[in-house]
Amino acid sequence: MMTGPKDIHSYLAEFEDIPGTRVFTAARARQGYHLNQFAMSLMAPENRARWTADEKAYLEEWPLTDDQKAAVLARDYNRLLDLGGNIYFLSKVFSTDGLSFVQAVSTMTGVSVEDYQAMMNAGGRSPKGLRSKKEGR
Amino acid sequence: MARITAGVGSSHVPLLGVAHDLGKDKDDYFGPIFAGYEWTREWEKAEKPDVVLLVYNDHASAFDMKIIPTFAIGCGERYKPADEGWGPRKVPDVIGHPDLAWHIAQSLILDEFDMTIINEMDVDHGLTVPLSMMFGAVDAWPCKVIPLAVNVVTYPPPSGNRCWALGEAIARAVASFPEDLNVQIWGTGGMSHQLQGPRAGLINREWDNMFLDGLIGESDRLRHVPHIEYLRETGSEGIEMVMWLIMRGALGTATRALHRHYHVPCSNTAIGHIVLEPAG
Repeated sequence: MMTGPKDIHSYLAEFEDIPGTRVFTAARARQGYHLNQFAMSLMAPENRARWTADEKAYLEEWPLTDDQKAAVLARDYNRLLDLGGNIYFLSKVFSTDGLSFVQAVSTMTGVSVEDYQAMMNAGGRSPKGLRSKKEGR
Repeated sequence: MARITAGVGSSHVPLLGVAHDLGKDKDDYFGPIFAGYEWTREWEKAEKPDVVLLVYNDHASAFDMKIIPTFAIGCGERYKPADEGWGPRKVPDVIGHPDLAWHIAQSLILDEFDMTIINEMDVDHGLTVPLSMMFGAVDAWPCKVIPLAVNVVTYPPPSGNRCWALGEAIARAVASFPEDLNVQIWGTGGMSHQLQGPRAGLINREWDNMFLDGLIGESDRLRHVPHIEYLRETGSEGIEMVMWLIMRGALGTATRALHRHYHVPCSNTAIGHIVLEPAG
């Protein structure tokens, strides 16, 4: 008794059909391994202090790609998702910046934090039209 | 003998912990959310569970990318609140029940669930927020807690069916523990939410309530909901709801709902809460 596909290829292929979403697959976990471990290191207060004092120098201690480093410094969270970042790990970066989840998450949606907050207060984003790229439902 | 007397489902949004800790739980934004837990707080005072088996997920706190256990059970004596990047929550340490936890762990492994055993870890908002919601501000949590952490971050997480079956195995394990204990099982996380990408902020009130309906009574249709449906309908983080199915599976063939609460929004998330008892 199994739910959904048992074949890993068809299981993963379905994820690409969801609009505006990067599912944290094994491929992304591998690509973002050091990026996420870097973010995780900010849980320690002494690391947060060193990071805040000199972000570039701190990043040099981690084997990130140049793209990953640039995206971290720019706080470009959509780009970081594309480069293997996971939001729970990236949350250590924006928490260190003093941002809430709503503030940080809104930066990925193309609207201002005020508009995003208003959307949430009005019941959130409707799934209508955002379930499937292929089917447009 | 030990027995599972009730199941509780609840979201575990970190902002609820912040609101609770800063005393904002009666303001305009949080008041309606916390009001839905008042019934449960009174009920818990009367029920006095000895142990809560608390199913949750770690959010890059105790586990980083080095080790990703699918199902992990805490067999330790005590757990401290994690520093998630803004300092640990000022809530009591969580006291474990190593005798029952090890009994469950051993029983589950014999029952072909290959559990990871944890003896030491810190516990994050996934575990401490539900405790605050159900017990309020206390000097010590009123019961022992056995953490059961599920990977719902790195794909694939366990299937809903596997989670339900784990709940059934937990019920068998608890029932064979010789001490007379009142045990509750809580499933936490969800409901619909997406914290990433242009689709962030997705909320699906209709689907969430269908899910709550499906926990009540004899139906087991929720165990067959595939991951892709959670992703499409409830956002990328809505997958946390598979953890509620461990709770539901542990309650046996049928349930009765004692209390139910749903509210949008809290931060980026739909809040869902339900109290169930076995009716089979």
